[in-house]
Amino acid sequence: MAKKVALYGILTSLALIFGYIESLFSLSFIAPGIKLGIANSVALLLLCFKDFKGALLVNITRILLSALLFSTPFSLVFSLTAGIISVVIMKPLSGIKSVSVVGFSIAGAAVHNLVQLTVASLIFGRAVWYYLPFLLVSALISGGIIGALSLIIFKRIK
Amino acid sequence: MLKKGDRIIIISVSALIIISSALLFFTKSGGKMVTVKENNELIYKGSLYENKVVELKGNTVEIKGGAVTVTQADCKNQICVNHRAITKKGESIICLPNKVIAEIE
Repeated sequence: MAKKVALYGILTSLALIFGYIESLFSLSFIAPGIKLGIANSVALLLLCFKDFKGALLVNITRILLSALLFSTPFSLVFSLTAGIISVVIMKPLSGIKSVSVVGFSIAGAAVHNLVQLTVASLIFGRAVWYYLPFLLVSALISGGIIGALSLIIFKRIK
Repeated sequence: MLKKGDRIIIISVSALIIISSALLFFTKSGGKMVTVKENNELIYKGSLYENKVVELKGNTVEIKGGAVTVTQADCKNQICVNHRAITKKGESIICLPNKVIAEIE
């Protein structure tokens, strides 16, 4: 138990640092809110090790902490709902043999963006759905990159 | 490196991209509407994305490239002419002397 607490602590801080590094270079010039999502590679790796609870826990802690440290409570609503739902969706996918981390990373990224758009549309109105194709393309690219990165790391530490 | 399931996921996300772009393309004109009222009477109603110049008694309203501006007004204060272009739903430019309202809805 103590070992797990320590491990999750280290992984959460790692994810936080990834999130911080990412906040230094904004990709928002492509479309508002677009980012690579390096921090999610930690949750992806935990899912590779079939540790769903750990992935969920690390992701929720990371999102809460990064909202406190770097952003606003307002953005917390977006990231928390999307963060939780995408991990929940990725869990069954990660259990399928023919799906690698690249696959469920892309699916998770797409679900993440879909949830954020749904939340945004509740607040700002239907007009935000215009972003959907852009966000899905970005999910495909960034989800693929982060998934491939996680696969490389997973193979090294397995 | 990519397994069969990965390909299925990539293909379905790509399909979603194509479908959503197509929906976006076809519903674009039905999106934001511009209404121009004079004396509480509807003079013009049309898409924000359709370029149009609406001539009123004392004002000229121009809809161009998804933005609405009042380019000319015969009143003294010129508040509506100096108003920045409106682009978002719910925004409006009002000319009080001529009782003109240009609104995006």
